[in-house]
Amino acid sequence: MSHAVASHPILDPTLAPPFPQAVLPVLRNPQLRKNVSHAIDVIQAKRAKLVAEKKDWQELRSAASAIRAHALENLGAYLEEFETRCTAAGGTVHWAADAADARRIILGLLREENASDVIKIKTMTSAEIQLNPFLEAAGVNVFETDLAEIILQLGDEEPSHIVVPALHINRSQVREIFARRMGLKDLSDDPHALTAAARTYLRQKFLKIPTAISGANFLIAETGGVAVVESEGNGRMCLTLPKTMITLAGIEKVLPRFQDLEVMLQVLARSATGERMNPYNSLWTGVTPGDGPQRFHVVLLDNGRSSILGKPKQRQTLKCIRCAACMNACPVYRQTGGHAYGSVYPGPIGAILTPQLMQMHHAQSLPFASSLCGACYEVCPVKIDIPEVLLELRSQVVNQERKDFARFFDPMYLGLRVANLLFGSSRLFHASQRMGRIGLRFFTRKDGWIHSLPSVGGKWTQTRDLRGLPSQNFHEWWAARAAQTSPLSIKEAK
Amino acid sequence: MSTPAATPSQSRWIVLDRIRNATQSVAADPGQRADAYAALPRAYLRRGALSAEARIKLMIERLREYDAEVIESTPAALPAAIAAQLSASGKRTFVAPEGMPTAWLASGFDWKIDHNLTTAEVELAEGVVTAASCGVADSGTIVLHHSPAEGRRVLTLLPDWHLCILFASQVVETLPEYFDRCPKPPAIHPSDKDPSLGTPAIHPSDKDLSLGTPAIHPSDKDLSLGTPALATTISGPSATADIEMTRIKGVHGPRFLHVILVRDEI
Repeated sequence: MSHAVASHPILDPTLAPPFPQAVLPVLRNPQLRKNVSHAIDVIQAKRAKLVAEKKDWQELRSAASAIRAHALENLGAYLEEFETRCTAAGGTVHWAADAADARRIILGLLREENASDVIKIKTMTSAEIQLNPFLEAAGVNVFETDLAEIILQLGDEEPSHIVVPALHINRSQVREIFARRMGLKDLSDDPHALTAAARTYLRQKFLKIPTAISGANFLIAETGGVAVVESEGNGRMCLTLPKTMITLAGIEKVLPRFQDLEVMLQVLARSATGERMNPYNSLWTGVTPGDGPQRFHVVLLDNGRSSILGKPKQRQTLKCIRCAACMNACPVYRQTGGHAYGSVYPGPIGAILTPQLMQMHHAQSLPFASSLCGACYEVCPVKIDIPEVLLELRSQVVNQERKDFARFFDPMYLGLRVANLLFGSSRLFHASQRMGRIGLRFFTRKDGWIHSLPSVGGKWTQTRDLRGLPSQNFHEWWAARAAQTSPLSIKEAK
Repeated sequence: MSTPAATPSQSRWIVLDRIRNATQSVAADPGQRADAYAALPRAYLRRGALSAEARIKLMIERLREYDAEVIESTPAALPAAIAAQLSASGKRTFVAPEGMPTAWLASGFDWKIDHNLTTAEVELAEGVVTAASCGVADSGTIVLHHSPAEGRRVLTLLPDWHLCILFASQVVETLPEYFDRCPKPPAIHPSDKDPSLGTPAIHPSDKDLSLGTPAIHPSDKDLSLGTPALATTISGPSATADIEMTRIKGVHGPRFLHVILVRDEI
């Protein structure tokens, strides 16, 4: 069984095992669980403190939610407005219908630049389209520049969180990776030393590599501007020093106006890292003569987003601003970490986003990877009702499965069909209760509890006990009581 | 490999067509869209309630929480205050934006004025002195619009030490108050090919731009900034918490942020 523990996590939803299976290696890895819960506790505490001090937090959430919903309702118009403004400011806008389209466009742009190397700002969207392996296979060396992304890239690890992607790796593991890959035998495991090593490793790359790839936190329709939110300054390096910048952005990232940032920046920093404001925000508009990259391309990526847009209950998924507050708040994520979700988008938002991006052809186990406790909805800065979407997706998965002939005799669906029949008739229902009482007596212990059931029932009793059926149901008790008590004595009792 | 490559114009048409189908129920009329936008709920705090004095105090406090070093000065004493900060830094070579007031160029140091300095030249400088566009007290944020006195983005990025001159009149309490100082950009004409419309803030001749003029005039009552084509907000020195959520100061951006807060009002 040890091969399962050692296996490399698969974050491609078309290949990843279902959640209950993918979670097993994590549950058997105490170090990983400790790393994850430590990181989550720190972020949660910082966020809670800074949200509490913000007197207008709920008003900010309402505004953020409304702005994002409005942008999505008018997505086509705002994207065209963005395209017009960005083009007028000297940028070039490309449209990608799917991941392959986006990869092809980006590689084409790199070929035009004769780029053999490229530096990158952390972008989960590029991980979604599996850009790095594609570029490497095409002969382009990709250098990640976010500290967490360097750790993952050099350690051949996979991201487990969308804001702090290496939170499952502790300092001694980082030290081992850096010492091995940077040739620094005497490196200590002090985070200061590790950070300094990354700074040195990257400095020359920033200064020499003339082509960069970024994601986008926001696209501003009104101005054609693009905003990137970050902490380390690697983003500013990539946005300032190269000659050519290629930005990959999901089509849902658009905001109507520049002023909308006054809401978004306030809720994003507090939700994502528990800061009043993250160290750096960069905003740029097309090309500015003499300052920064003189060639600028934006690739607008659909890749399943427009199909989510068309479904009224599910559209809210696209309001997401990728702050990760939902995964930090999630009791399931806290236990499992991110890899079990089999996608670059883990946690509650991943549980609804991934299967939808896959148009419900893959990742169908994810909507069930939740206790529906609602903590994710409560912290979401753009008020995505994640539990509502989870339930909607669950019903779609069930409808898919029960139409599947191969699952006709699946105990669950068989059981539900029988239950459907029994609950439809009081005669059948009472008869089944009497039969159940007789049948379950065999499994019921003296304390009135069932500790172990065979077959399908065992799935319940392996983790919890079940109350045995009472010797009398309410109808029977009521009838017996009425027979014993005369109408007169009831009046006296009053 | 599997599907034939769509041409660029096909992809654009495909994506926009999918979006239109998905949002059919919504009216596409620009007037209605503007009305719907105007009706969005915005009950959050726009204006702060602090007195001018308390606002400045908060700005200083928040900057110090980020480990920025803050000193206060007056317009008259500013050149001397700058010289004192530079001396105390122990550094010799500094870069300065092209439009920085000459009075700020303290003597006794190696100044490299940014008349299109190369990246390598900027990298060699030990520090940088710049103006700013705005300070947001609530989060201790400094906003740069990269006007001639604030410099190109590279200037405040590569040197390890940044001295930023912030005037009290530039400090607002809340983030929305900063946005209120950035008037709306011109209405959009799809046929408009003039890129300058999208980039008002980088043109020193722009009428709106009180900060673009080389000499910052403390008594200037027009605080409007124009919507920026380029903006960088700085909230403390660069930092990371990627290793065990331990906050480490100074990754790639300047590790040391110094601020002189100039009391030009109150």
